[in-house]
Amino acid sequence: MPLPAKAFQHWLHVVAPSASTADICRLSGIKRTTLAQQLVRGKVAESTLVSISRALKRSPLADLAAFESYADLAGRPQPPTPAELVSQIATMDLLRAVISRSAPAYGGYGDDGSALTPALGAAPHATSVRNWVDAIDDGELRHRVSDATGVAPQNYSAQLTANRLSPELAVATARAAGVGFTGGLVATGLLTEAEAGWPPEAKQAALDALSDGELTVLAGERLQALGKTLRRQEHEQEQTKKIWENLG
Amino acid sequence: MIAILQWTTLAVCAFVAIARIPSAVRGENRSLFFVYAFMTVAIVLSIEAPYLAVDSVLGGVNLANLLLRFIIFGTVFALGLRIARGFGADDALRLITGPPGIAFAGAASVAVVVVFLMMDTAGSSAGLISVYDRDARNAALVEYYGAAGRLYPAYITLALFPAMVRAVRGGLPGLVRLGAALLAVGTLAITLSLLSPVIPASLAYLRFVFSYTAILGLVVGLAAIWLSKILARKMRKAHTGLTG
Repeated sequence: MPLPAKAFQHWLHVVAPSASTADICRLSGIKRTTLAQQLVRGKVAESTLVSISRALKRSPLADLAAFESYADLAGRPQPPTPAELVSQIATMDLLRAVISRSAPAYGGYGDDGSALTPALGAAPHATSVRNWVDAIDDGELRHRVSDATGVAPQNYSAQLTANRLSPELAVATARAAGVGFTGGLVATGLLTEAEAGWPPEAKQAALDALSDGELTVLAGERLQALGKTLRRQEHEQEQTKKIWENLG
Repeated sequence: MIAILQWTTLAVCAFVAIARIPSAVRGENRSLFFVYAFMTVAIVLSIEAPYLAVDSVLGGVNLANLLLRFIIFGTVFALGLRIARGFGADDALRLITGPPGIAFAGAASVAVVVVFLMMDTAGSSAGLISVYDRDARNAALVEYYGAAGRLYPAYITLALFPAMVRAVRGGLPGLVRLGAALLAVGTLAITLSLLSPVIPASLAYLRFVFSYTAILGLVVGLAAIWLSKILARKMRKAHTGLTG
């Protein structure tokens, strides 16, 4: 559930007492009509709050925690698990790590990376939401989330496939899995890793801690999933071409 | 209201037919041009003034109306074939070209001709309104004649309906899915128009709404698919490659 407009306006009044709505919109880059619409509907998107908090150089995490539905975020956040950290590494970065660990004859360095290996890309990546849920799923997670939130499993899966998850569901998923609340907010791109309080080297350290076998299996799984997606897209392109040939 | 619907439908259909002339000259999907052209002719024939002109040439016994039915049959068959092939709907293709499709076409044709011969059709009248007004027997026959004429189009479009629903739910480009959705709406409208004989007189306007919604759904749906092709050709996106 997005933030109640009343609580949002109260928050805005506290953090920027002298700023007009126009100022806030100009600073945060939010369209005035968008904000007005959200206020009229009584529901303000979490991303709106995060943008404004960012623009005011405040902590979006702490500001989110000031709202009742995100009270869980308050205090010292539980740090992400190594599996969650690895899930936020893009597939191409994982593959680069595989090559980097291979023998020099194959373009690698034979060790755990080198100064020449490019830095890992920032989360979120193209499949970060699904990878995050897969990383914390014990097999029953989707059912527990569905029971707790009333969101049908197929709707939940559809969001994962589209690499989307509402902040509310992201927090509910973390709660159902018993992990820290920041993982889902980073995976969905609401917060950056730094805003979530993740140490800058955390992802690289989690990657380095993977054995060659673990890394290879993980990269293989990611490649397989990517292949499936690409095959589906190719099939849809073929279909479209055929439709155009016959009806265009 | 009804006149607006009629003329809008005619304008849309004629516009699409004219817009397809250049590509037809180039030899791209010429049959589609003829589909649109025949649809336009069909709509022209359902409007009073042109109908009277054509029918007077054909002897003034409303043969033009019978001709109109068969133009529709042929157009719908050609269109159904194209749509089934385009959407890869083998199930629909079998239903259209297989024994059930041929049987349906035959039965619908016989029904239309037989009911036409049973009517007292003297005196040109668009929509056979003067025949309808003659007496109760002719009025009933006009209703069944109309329903028989819609039977085959309804069969073809219903055969395509599952494929359209699949296309709407799939991951095809937005305009193609919109096109499929409009074709599905057209299908429902044609099927509902089969109910014309039992629609009470107080709701008579519904008959027109169903008929013209059906034609508009088909024409605009196909135009949406065509438009998506033109747009895709204009802004062919650079291949983004493997980004997962």
